[in-house]
Amino acid sequence: MSKAIAWDEAEIRGPKTAYTLTPENCGKMLRRAKRLLIIVGGNILDEEYVKVNMVNTIERIAKKLGATLAVSPSVFRAFQHYDGTKYMINVESVVERLLDPNWLGFDGRGKYDFILFVGGLYPFQSMMLASLKHFSPTLRTITIERYYHPNATFSLENLSFEKWCEGLEDLLKAVEA
Amino acid sequence: MVTRINIKELESGGLKIKGLELTVGKFTEFDEWAEPMGPTPYPSLMDLREWDLRLLERYPPFYSPLSDFCEFCTYGKCDLTAGKRGACGIDMAGHMGKWVLLQTVMGTSAHTTHAHHLLNFLIKQYGPDQPIDLGGEVEIEAPITRLITGIRPKKLSDLVDVVNYLEGQITHLLSATATGQEQNYLDYESKALHAGMLDILALEVADIAQISALGFPKGDAETPFIEVGMGVVEREKPVILCIGHNVAPGSEVIDYLNETGLYGKVEVAGVCCTASDLARFSSGAKIVGPISRQLRFIRMGIADVVIVDQECVRADVIEEATKVGSRVIATSDQLVGGLPNYTNIDDDIVVSRLVSGEELAVVIQDPVKVGRVAVKAARLIAPLRLNQKGYNRNEIVAKAAACSLCLSCTKNCPIGINVGLAVNTAKRGDQSLLLEVFDECLGCARCDAACPNDIPVLTVIDAASEDKIRNERFKIRAGRGPIKDTEIRNVGRPIVMGEIPGVVVFAGCANYPGGNYDLAKMADEFAKRRYIVVTSGCSALDIARYKDENGQTLYEKYPGAFDAGCIVNLGPCVSNAHAVGAVVKIASIFAKRNLRGNFEEIADYILNRIGAVAIAWGAQHQKAMSIATGANRFGIPVILGPQGVKYRRAYLGRSEDYERWLVYNAKDGRGVYVGPTPEHLLCVVETAEEAMVTAAKLVMRPNDTPKGRMIKLSNYVSLHRQFYGGLPEDLHLFVRDENDLPITMKDEILTLIKQKGWKPTEIPDPTLLSRMIFGGR
Repeated sequence: MSKAIAWDEAEIRGPKTAYTLTPENCGKMLRRAKRLLIIVGGNILDEEYVKVNMVNTIERIAKKLGATLAVSPSVFRAFQHYDGTKYMINVESVVERLLDPNWLGFDGRGKYDFILFVGGLYPFQSMMLASLKHFSPTLRTITIERYYHPNATFSLENLSFEKWCEGLEDLLKAVEA
Repeated sequence: MVTRINIKELESGGLKIKGLELTVGKFTEFDEWAEPMGPTPYPSLMDLREWDLRLLERYPPFYSPLSDFCEFCTYGKCDLTAGKRGACGIDMAGHMGKWVLLQTVMGTSAHTTHAHHLLNFLIKQYGPDQPIDLGGEVEIEAPITRLITGIRPKKLSDLVDVVNYLEGQITHLLSATATGQEQNYLDYESKALHAGMLDILALEVADIAQISALGFPKGDAETPFIEVGMGVVEREKPVILCIGHNVAPGSEVIDYLNETGLYGKVEVAGVCCTASDLARFSSGAKIVGPISRQLRFIRMGIADVVIVDQECVRADVIEEATKVGSRVIATSDQLVGGLPNYTNIDDDIVVSRLVSGEELAVVIQDPVKVGRVAVKAARLIAPLRLNQKGYNRNEIVAKAAACSLCLSCTKNCPIGINVGLAVNTAKRGDQSLLLEVFDECLGCARCDAACPNDIPVLTVIDAASEDKIRNERFKIRAGRGPIKDTEIRNVGRPIVMGEIPGVVVFAGCANYPGGNYDLAKMADEFAKRRYIVVTSGCSALDIARYKDENGQTLYEKYPGAFDAGCIVNLGPCVSNAHAVGAVVKIASIFAKRNLRGNFEEIADYILNRIGAVAIAWGAQHQKAMSIATGANRFGIPVILGPQGVKYRRAYLGRSEDYERWLVYNAKDGRGVYVGPTPEHLLCVVETAEEAMVTAAKLVMRPNDTPKGRMIKLSNYVSLHRQFYGGLPEDLHLFVRDENDLPITMKDEILTLIKQKGWKPTEIPDPTLLSRMIFGGR
């Protein structure tokens, strides 16, 4: 694992920045999660995400790994046919709850140990990851965005659109293997 | 302070006194004000701390650090990541609290110096006894000033004490940010709330002073329509462009034009809040647009003379303006720009040097002189610059040929527009994507700085869009200033009872993804639903830059009264004081609560009873942060757009936490559950749809009558269905009784909430203050 430069070049952080993973290793890392929460941002229906069919990718990851979806309200409709565990919630509000060591998740069954972020405006998502990095440092976070997010624990590096498309296939293979 | 000595009868040696009354100190009419003084006139940093801590207990700060370091002293920089402490002992929460305080103090001090400069100028021009007069239907002329300071200002000079108070408090607040001072994040937040409250006070001082002295509209619903847009300026005439917030230099330009019979022969336009104020001063002034238009209009070279005053002036404005041959006059000691000071040099010499180009930019700190010099210089320079106005479209767009599709511009766009693709597509002869980018672009030019091939990206976008720019013509109502007492009498009851579903204020800057369309869409939706919609600052201008299917702007479509289903343009940033002032006046006029020095009680009243919410969709400046924080201390929730996350702090409630939503029933002192009303004080949302649904939820208040709650729930459910689909999952938290339920949805909602274990609750006489319990229990 190595480190990369943030997509937003001014997003220069301190010594603790995300490890880059290949998409395949990203999939393998996700399989280690015991209780995975996927936070879906309000931009998940933007053009690039639609082109890679990201909603379907999220649903497949969630289904395979038994993850919970926390979906930004204005895109919740995109998951209307998904029959797994899903909640509609403002992203800032779910991150605020994740900072609370006593919060036992939406179902009260225990803390989430791995948080996957996808589908948010880059600077907004970066700040949500920063909140968790600083105030809930034992929680592992990961993104499968096309762009490197230094505030996550694990991130893909900056990828061309084509490489990202291919990579998401590799990621799914690793998750579903 | 006034000390009175009253001697009924005294006999000592040869001296005999009978019935002597002696007053020592400053004596003004407002000391005779009959309303009893409340507990906190001129509050200090500690006086309202208990109120702040009560708010922060329910809405704890949520921090998103923008940097991992503290860089405030020479011990550092210190890495504060993940629980580490810096060399001075501070942790990240404390550091965030310090940042928040610093930002709010920056904003508050900017508005305070604005008020200071303006007040000094107006006193000099119109005299210290110029009456504070906001029109016959505004008896509570200064609700914020009355509430915070305990004085009732009658004339301009009465406001000097208020400015002195503000400046003293700002010094104390700033001092707390120094190393070795405050250390607890909650106390930093309490001080930030204090700074925010002071900011609202500074806004009021600035605006009531200029309204009283300069003849601005005084709460008129039907103010004149003003032209707004980059296409409204007649470039063939001499053009004077005013940028910033202090109207004095611009108003002096207009006065001079009138005095010399030149009015109409010289174009006077503005960008940002100065533009809004010029439009209040003269309906012939033109508004180029919000801050997103500043650099773009300057680069077009249309302005012959650019006058900059203070706040929101780009740091490259002098360089950019002089590059295209415009002359610049800096007028405020807040922004001198490294320029020579010509304040005391003869007019003719200044004009001659500006026209010859011996000086391209100067400082003149006398607004009256600025008026004369700007007009004279513009008239002489304009004929020499005609060929410098506008773009050579083909020549500029051809610069796209240097694009290597490295995407540096895209990476550096604050809102993630794919600028690089648009430029590279133009390189191949297709400019259509540049036109799309134009609609969303913030005009910040970070793309220019990022381009390794020196393409002036912003100029390329604008040159390709020149036809759009020429046709950018909209109409906005001039800012009306205060809300009339008569209007408050009409709407006070339905607002407090909840029958008008809420007051939604659109304020703040233009830093949003998706262009201004979302902003207008939101305002339109709430006006259609018969909320009272209020606009101010750059948001007011951006809402005007949208036309509906009938070719009307929202200001043409809706009336300008403070009433259900209307859209009220208050004016520039400083007019935000009237939005807060309106809810304060509801407490005074409708509920007969005393205002004088009585902040805590009134804020408690607003938080629990008045369904007002602000949406700062594109908040960018520290001033927007301080205004939002001030609104929060008054009990008004604020919603920020996604870029607002970079303020690093929100105040979030947690809906399922039962204890947080207990209030006292003032009738008997019992704790009563009222649900999450309002759920947050300051929150960030990602989309305009989320902002709308959130706003519909945040206007609910514990005091809503069943009919009022029914109307609010009806809108919440309807917006939720429209934008999210289905019924809200949290409805059970907002239904107190079956009478709250919208009739047409009653069975459906009842079934849902019963599944969630809903039980009826009571509607209390709500307060967070134990001293407000009847009988003092």
